[in-house]
Amino acid sequence: MDNHSPVPMIELRHVEKYYGDLHVLQDISLSVRRGEVVVIIGPSGSGKSTLCRSINRLETIDSGEILLEGNPIPQEGKKLAELRAQIGMVFQSFNLFAHMSVLDNITLAPVEVLKKGRKEAREEALQLLERVGVRDQADKVPAQLSGGQQQRAAIARSLAMHPKVMLFDEPTSALDPEMIQEVLNVIAELAKEGMTMLIVTHEMNFARRVADRVIFMDGGQIVEENTPDCFFSDPASQRARDFLHSLHAE
Amino acid sequence: MKTGSIRDYLYEPPGPHTRKRIRIITGIALLGLLVLLGLIVRQFSVTGQFDAKYWSFFTKWTTWRFLGQGLLTTLEAALTGSAISFTLGFLLMRGKFQGKLIRGISTFLIEFTRGVPTLLFIYFFFLVVPKTGWKPSAFWKITLPCAISACGVVAEALRSGVNAVPGGQREAALSLGLSERRTFYRIVFPQAFRFVIPSLIAELVIVLKDTTFAYVVSCADLMQNAKVLISNYDAMLSIYLVVAVIYILINYLLNTLSERIAGSQRRSVQMIPETNKGVAAHG
Amino acid sequence: MGFTDLLSKYGAQYFQALLTTWRLTAISFAGAFIIGILITVARVSPIRPLRIFGDIYVQIFRNIPGAALLILLVYALPYLQIVFPYDVCVTVATILIPSAFCSEHLMSGMNTISPGQIEAARSLGLTFLQMIRRIIIPQALRSSVLPMTNLLVATMLTTSLASQVPMRPRDLTGIVSYINTHDTGGVTAFVISAVLYCLTAFAIGKAGSLVDRKVRILR
Repeated sequence: MDNHSPVPMIELRHVEKYYGDLHVLQDISLSVRRGEVVVIIGPSGSGKSTLCRSINRLETIDSGEILLEGNPIPQEGKKLAELRAQIGMVFQSFNLFAHMSVLDNITLAPVEVLKKGRKEAREEALQLLERVGVRDQADKVPAQLSGGQQQRAAIARSLAMHPKVMLFDEPTSALDPEMIQEVLNVIAELAKEGMTMLIVTHEMNFARRVADRVIFMDGGQIVEENTPDCFFSDPASQRARDFLHSLHAE
Repeated sequence: MKTGSIRDYLYEPPGPHTRKRIRIITGIALLGLLVLLGLIVRQFSVTGQFDAKYWSFFTKWTTWRFLGQGLLTTLEAALTGSAISFTLGFLLMRGKFQGKLIRGISTFLIEFTRGVPTLLFIYFFFLVVPKTGWKPSAFWKITLPCAISACGVVAEALRSGVNAVPGGQREAALSLGLSERRTFYRIVFPQAFRFVIPSLIAELVIVLKDTTFAYVVSCADLMQNAKVLISNYDAMLSIYLVVAVIYILINYLLNTLSERIAGSQRRSVQMIPETNKGVAAHG
Repeated sequence: MGFTDLLSKYGAQYFQALLTTWRLTAISFAGAFIIGILITVARVSPIRPLRIFGDIYVQIFRNIPGAALLILLVYALPYLQIVFPYDVCVTVATILIPSAFCSEHLMSGMNTISPGQIEAARSLGLTFLQMIRRIIIPQALRSSVLPMTNLLVATMLTTSLASQVPMRPRDLTGIVSYINTHDTGGVTAFVISAVLYCLTAFAIGKAGSLVDRKVRILR
């Protein structure tokens, strides 16, 4: 891990966002270093998904700054598209393109955005599919795959863009229990390879295993930032203690 | 997750530059539409179509009573025609679930009525039927062909409604000892009917539109009465415009009703019978 | 008049009429499709006046009866010193009405695309136009094959409006009313036209479901 890099990969400064009267992000400041894995946890409605999505401007913010490698994210147009191409995003509901084969899903952006040759893109896509373990599904359409396979293909689709950072927005929340592990393993593998990642999840064991840092959000605020070991064994804040307690009670 | 129409999420929230561009294009579009409207108004005034003589009779009670009488005939023809087409459509739909021969005949009739324009049926009732010795009134000469023309579409709508009822419903009824017949009429069809109420209302609109050909058989519907008014007041444009607006408004209301019902059915997982009963009476 | 007599006397005219109906149908559908796309672009655009214009356009032409529209074009417009030949009036009417339905079908085709796919396209760095070209249009077109097939048949039925004006050559409906007013065509004259309409509709339907089976999107 390169802790000495002066410029953080992602930095949020005093970010505020409202949905009408609802103050969903309250003075959020946060930075993610190169190669760091940051896991955000918190009850639903705490603003963690909104925070994650605001980094590539799928959600707009009302004030504050979001920077990628020290540069503020553009508001629109080609510049914004170029920025998004550098940030991988994995969604809760996979969001593979329904009318394309899995392989075409993965080669689309490299060919259209990075202007790669078709053949080169195809070869790399197959390697990525191999890596996430769905190589044999390459020619099927998304609806023919299980949820776990779709999500792994979606991760491969993001990786094909060689992103500087990966955002995961509750990547296993829509999956049947028996498929969660296969997806988490792929993400853990990426963590091991040094990918910078921001992960919103409800999987506490996974968080403890892969996170360099845990951020606990509640009511639109960052309540606690801690190492995973400290957070899960002895959280500093009362709200985090209550949250963890409620999970065990279930 | 965002819901709603593609209109709400196709474009992302604009940045400052885009917002400025949208404002400019909005201005240009508004200007263009106003110019278009201005040209229309200008054409009306240049040709003297705003003259009082073309519009003043709309303030008279008799004008509206006369148009209202025509409208009543139109609605009567549309509702009667729809009722007949629903009956015929129901029979054809039942035919689709019978033995090979009846199913074949039903399929043929459905495809035939769906593939032939209403006007051809109207000409048939206008030109051929009277020669057979049966002389239906003008009302039936427009209502029957409209009904026949619509029945195939109704049959298909009803059939897709029946197919949309989960198979478990039928199996459960049969396993309780209900006969096939009772199962269909007591369990399957009432549920199917609720599914298809929106398409039946949409079909009513189609029948209503088809009745505008009533002038072919000289039935005194809204269109025909408009023609009489025109010869009285020598005001072609104003009267036809008003009549067109009346048709558009009625059909718009019916279509909106149909979409509302379809929307509320999509929203409610468990359908509440009471909410649909009042509407079913209209279909 | 028997079938053979009718055919020997009017066979060539029936053939001409069939071609006229086909031609009108093809022209109207093509026109309706182009206008339908433009209206749909206006309706989903972020430009409010265009959205409202598109909505009003669709409500007018999906709700106006064909006869009322044709009569307005043929008999009322000349009072505004706007005079079109009969065949132009018919074509305009049979384009305007299906174009409104075309836009409705395209809208519902686009609505089958989940918002998530649009977000995914954005987050991969696709520009707006790339997303429209690679994600939106292919899916909207592929999921509206069956509605468009039905629209093509409906357009064919609408072209029978041509029989309401003295247009030459006559269409399949016009020829029947001509034969029956000038001769004793009887039922047979109707059956010939009806069969030609039905066969056309059948062929369109078959072709449509064939295409649909090929391009349907699994969801």
